[in-house]
Amino acid sequence: MRANLRTLAGLALAVFLVLPFLPLVGWSVARGWRFPALLPDQVGVDAWAYALSPPSGVLASFAVTTLIASATTLLAILVGLPAGRALGLYRFRGRGLVFLLLLAPALLPGIAVVFGLHGILLRLGLAGSIPGVILAHLVPVLPYMTLVMAAVFARFDTAFEDQARSLGATPWQTFRHVTLPAILPGLMVGALFAFLVSWSQYLLTLSIGGGRVQTLPLLLFSFASAGRNDITAAIALLYILPGLMILAVTARRITGRGAALTERLHP
Amino acid sequence: MLRSLAALLLFSTSALADTADGNALKAMSWDQIVDQARGGTVNWFMWGGSDTINAYVSGYVADRLRADYDITLNRVPITDAADIVNQVLSEKEAGVTDTGSVDLIWINGENFRSMKQADLVFCGYAGLLPNDTLVNWENPAIANDFGVPVDGCEVPWNTVQFAFAHDSAVVADPPRDMAGLIAWIKANPGRFTYPAPPDFTGSAFLRHVFIHAAGGPDSLLGAFDQAKFDETAAKTWAILNEIEPFLWREGATYPTTVTQLNELFANGEVDFSFDYDPAQFGLAVQAGTFPDTTRSFGLTDGTIGNTNYTLIPYNSPNKAAAMVVQNLLLSGEAQLEKAKPEVWGAAPAIEVSRATPEVQDGFAAIKTHPSVVPAAELAKAALPELQADWLTAIEKGWTANVGN
Repeated sequence: MRANLRTLAGLALAVFLVLPFLPLVGWSVARGWRFPALLPDQVGVDAWAYALSPPSGVLASFAVTTLIASATTLLAILVGLPAGRALGLYRFRGRGLVFLLLLAPALLPGIAVVFGLHGILLRLGLAGSIPGVILAHLVPVLPYMTLVMAAVFARFDTAFEDQARSLGATPWQTFRHVTLPAILPGLMVGALFAFLVSWSQYLLTLSIGGGRVQTLPLLLFSFASAGRNDITAAIALLYILPGLMILAVTARRITGRGAALTERLHP
Repeated sequence: MLRSLAALLLFSTSALADTADGNALKAMSWDQIVDQARGGTVNWFMWGGSDTINAYVSGYVADRLRADYDITLNRVPITDAADIVNQVLSEKEAGVTDTGSVDLIWINGENFRSMKQADLVFCGYAGLLPNDTLVNWENPAIANDFGVPVDGCEVPWNTVQFAFAHDSAVVADPPRDMAGLIAWIKANPGRFTYPAPPDFTGSAFLRHVFIHAAGGPDSLLGAFDQAKFDETAAKTWAILNEIEPFLWREGATYPTTVTQLNELFANGEVDFSFDYDPAQFGLAVQAGTFPDTTRSFGLTDGTIGNTNYTLIPYNSPNKAAAMVVQNLLLSGEAQLEKAKPEVWGAAPAIEVSRATPEVQDGFAAIKTHPSVVPAAELAKAALPELQADWLTAIEKGWTANVGN
């Protein structure tokens, strides 16, 4: 009975998640799909042929978006992991203020930040370049990364590291074999968030990239606002691929359980 | 520290940007300019919503530039040219005067006026382009962009004239003038609407009603006249408020973009769409968006025509290469290619009679898409575009008196 309920709930969730994408699939192969027709008048692969052809720039844009989101994620880990450790493990003066400042970019509307940010990057000569866009993406991405890592480290028991060190492990060995396995599920969740937040940026990319850094959301909007539902749908389906792929790869590992998390050591 | 780092970065990029100095270029011969342009890259910011126009630019134009001049054309798709005007403006405010990110913009109307007023445009070089001789600068519709003198700050690319689209399978015999259209709207409740200004196309529709209310364009040409405006505006709002209950959803709401109007038309919710560029109807039929039975028409009392242009911002670091692009776009061959209905169907900005015999033959052989009313037929009843001050006054007045 319980298993049946779970299967049913799982099915309902799957339908709920998949259903909105069905019209996208229809639109991407439709040649003329007008109210009140339930199915397109004609089907064809014109939209896909255009989206996948080099002059459309969709594939190049896919590569650029992947590069930017990956680089942003990597930088966010480099900054967010130590910061999250400090915030999660230690109590210090002004910790609340640091939390508030970290949360600020996630709370403030992006449009309030974007103009000042553009001015700074312009003066640095980074506006309109990929490094500039990566730096700009770090603004909304870092809070997610740091807060996730802070939550992970709040449940992390440093006694495991002390044991390893007392048994002669170097700091790197300790990190590699003790700390990393313990925080890995949390790190993956943080990295997934970071990747997807960067992947879906529109306003920041448009203003900082000045149109010269063409990520997929920009191309998508350019066709959506022109009413080309077929091409928009084809690009949209390409657009959701990485999210699905990452989710599929990491889903089994992000259960939130880790060997060195305190529940296990002090039950 | 930050400042010196920035200075270093700026210096290092400006060393590469050797054609930022427009005055130096203006002193050169065309051959020298082409030499300077070789190996350059042009970032062309243009509306990116049409796959066929994109394919023409990234295909035909880019291929010829690479083969003939070793120039790389980077087409940057945008949604609204106003964003790019702001971008150049903020670059100016940040002191970026010779390493701007924009080399070429597809533009006209209010955006051109803003750029010209803010001194953001590279001007006075058009005569250097060999293909400039194909342009009829005596034509006021080309020498003025929405009433603003072009003054050598833009190079024309296409000419367009407003037209209406209808599905001939639904409305076999559409009205032929503005009075007829108004009567048709009242006789067919819920079957017509127009995009609310400031939508570019909706605003153009309002000007047609405004000119109709004034009894013709003659008294509206020239500088803004408040007394004349008040008199005509009162009649215009009366007409528009009178038809409002007969519009789509009883006029309780208006589409906000022409894209929405096109969607309503495609789904048969309204019986008319309209566009500044009738070639768009043919492209929409080819894309399967509009039904094959779509036809288009002008009004016997005239529809508004205008010209769209390409423009080089004052701070472009690749002016020589951008000039070569403009010259190529103006060439008879490139104008002929984009006039083909399967490519774009755009009406030329050049005087075809000044082009080579081969190009003239090519134009003569073009069969317009059946959904696109031929430019020559539209041109029989053409209205001039009003100056930008009229345009903004009409848009503001509509919001206060009709769209409230």
